[in-house]
Amino acid sequence: MATNESTSSNQWVSSNGRLLDVEDLHVEFRTREGIANAINGVSFHLDRHETLAILGESGSGKSVTAQAIMGILDTPPGFVTGGVVNYCGVDLLGLKEKERRKVRGAHIAMIFQDALSSLNPCFPVGWQIAEMFRIHRGMTKANALKQAIALMEKVKIPGARERVKAFPHQFSGGMRQRIMIAMAIALDPAILIADEPTTALDVTVQAQIMDLLKQIQEESGMGLILITHDLGVVANVADRIAVMYAGRMVESAMVHDVYANPRHPYTIGLLESVPRMDAKSGGVLPAIGGLPPNLLAMPEGCPFHPRCRFAAEECRQGSPPPLTELDQGSRYAACWRLDSPEVTAHIQGGSDDD
Amino acid sequence: MMTEVLLEARDLVKHYPIKTGIIQHVTGWVRAVDGVSFDLHKGETLGVVGESGCGKSTLGRLLMRLEEPTSGSLNFSGVDMYKQSPTGSAMRKLRRDIQIIFQDPYTSLNPRMTVGDIVGEPFDIHPDVAPKGSRRTRVQELLDLVGLNPEHINRYPHQFSGGQRQRIGVARGIALNPKLLILDEPVSALDVSVQAQVVNLLESLQSELGLSYIFIAHDLAVVRHISTRVAVMYLGRIVEIGNEDEIYERPTHPYTQALLSAVPVPDPSLKDSRKQIVLAGDVPSPANPPGGCRFHTRCWRMTKEQRQTCAVEIPELATHDDLVGTHDSACHFAQVHRIEE
Repeated sequence: MATNESTSSNQWVSSNGRLLDVEDLHVEFRTREGIANAINGVSFHLDRHETLAILGESGSGKSVTAQAIMGILDTPPGFVTGGVVNYCGVDLLGLKEKERRKVRGAHIAMIFQDALSSLNPCFPVGWQIAEMFRIHRGMTKANALKQAIALMEKVKIPGARERVKAFPHQFSGGMRQRIMIAMAIALDPAILIADEPTTALDVTVQAQIMDLLKQIQEESGMGLILITHDLGVVANVADRIAVMYAGRMVESAMVHDVYANPRHPYTIGLLESVPRMDAKSGGVLPAIGGLPPNLLAMPEGCPFHPRCRFAAEECRQGSPPPLTELDQGSRYAACWRLDSPEVTAHIQGGSDDD
Repeated sequence: MMTEVLLEARDLVKHYPIKTGIIQHVTGWVRAVDGVSFDLHKGETLGVVGESGCGKSTLGRLLMRLEEPTSGSLNFSGVDMYKQSPTGSAMRKLRRDIQIIFQDPYTSLNPRMTVGDIVGEPFDIHPDVAPKGSRRTRVQELLDLVGLNPEHINRYPHQFSGGQRQRIGVARGIALNPKLLILDEPVSALDVSVQAQVVNLLESLQSELGLSYIFIAHDLAVVRHISTRVAVMYLGRIVEIGNEDEIYERPTHPYTQALLSAVPVPDPSLKDSRKQIVLAGDVPSPANPPGGCRFHTRCWRMTKEQRQTCAVEIPELATHDDLVGTHDSACHFAQVHRIEE
């Protein structure tokens, strides 16, 4: 891959017009207790201008997916054991670390949940933002710092010129997340992966940060992968949703389809179990019983069957259900009982009846 | 009102000193809680919401008397709590009736103690609740009550998941048959699907045992689901308090309105019909809160003419019209504002 540092990554377009194509990704963690299959064959794609939300609980493999794409998986214990991450026609998993490093940050950038521990406490924030330009673009210190100030203004940090020399602890949580965003968009990446960007923030600040990300995306046309467990945030910003459970993608569809007609029993249960702020939901919340499975001891058959209220004999044995095409390819779901009357009762009618 | 008042807080104030230098001389005060008054009725759940740093957790600790207040009074079923000697027998009796459950089920349980020891520890301090011989059975009853397997009494906290650990915390909280439980962000650290289970458990325990709850949380949707009444806090003060539907359907304080509008609703079809009020900037420091109305520096509704009032006069909690009835709000120009069209 020609990685000319001065080229804006947005000029990159792959043969099929897609920014990112992940196919059949497998990741395992080799621990003392045994092999944990964190990701078992995940496939998805991302287009320009698009926001894909990866939704899942802790342990569902959503963050590991992002780490595998970025190539920042802790190895050992984590190993990518199969699959293709196709970025603009190049399989990133096949690249040497030296080449991979040129992609990271410049083409695919990432922001993390906890901005305080992601920033170096010993250096001023301006210096840390400028580092992107010094290392990737070979700029001089003075020029890089000028660029850093411009970026801080772009992410709307008040008094950027004065605060460029301040240290991370001198900023509030929301401002720190803005600094993270400034670092991530510094080299104008084609893809931004945001791993729970607002989970640690208050709702009023969360709204500011999501607005900022949306605005940056509109200006640059980058693809955004939003990793979160918050069904509210997803509904507001995502174009498409991929729902993950126990290292598998269980449902993938456009945002309206997922919320109006969830097809997979896990998605149905998840949407029902969340209390709504805009309506008083009296009585007992329809919770999903049980706990997410232990990755070291996955149940046989469909990984969701011990918690699934629609589970039948076919779900409890054999291999897990594959992701099946539905509605002429506009959406996918992985369940053996997609066409059974109990499950389809949730189509169109929403989730009122049980 | 409906039932008897269990807890009566009047003008609770807690200021923490800011100390600097080698001689630790006091240079200022953090006004964590600055004049909070409310009543809690028997069997009711009062939700307390607000952004981080608004003083909601400090309020919870004050109600437990884990902190000594700077001033104010707290009346718990007829006894003035702060007038009691902090170590005396009267206070010890009161502590039995007020218990707390913390946010983080990973750090609030001692990793070296078995579940049986953790849940049974309150009985060491209050032996009259469960005599020594019956203690193990009582602990197993409690584990069963919160939906854990009573046979797991000899396990350690690390053998449980987050949701199960929070159940252990709940079992410890209700061990002494308290009248009031203070729940400080009890479900914030849990996964969505597990969160609903714990919320259901808390609700069923409340109706079974006749408990009253103070439910402190920043998740406005969960608070609406569980609360009968809700208090909204900003910089150490209650800015609005009322029944659940009064706060969520007809808020009159601009801060409540902004807070509610900022919460994303899990329904993409409402995305365009809900008008979001995005507040500028961050919460000011409680060490140096703005004069007048504390919210006036971020208020989105204040006009130029109103500024003269808002920046100078401190608004008290007072009854304001909310189109249907009335409820209390601390704004000079309180009025209902529709978020959804």
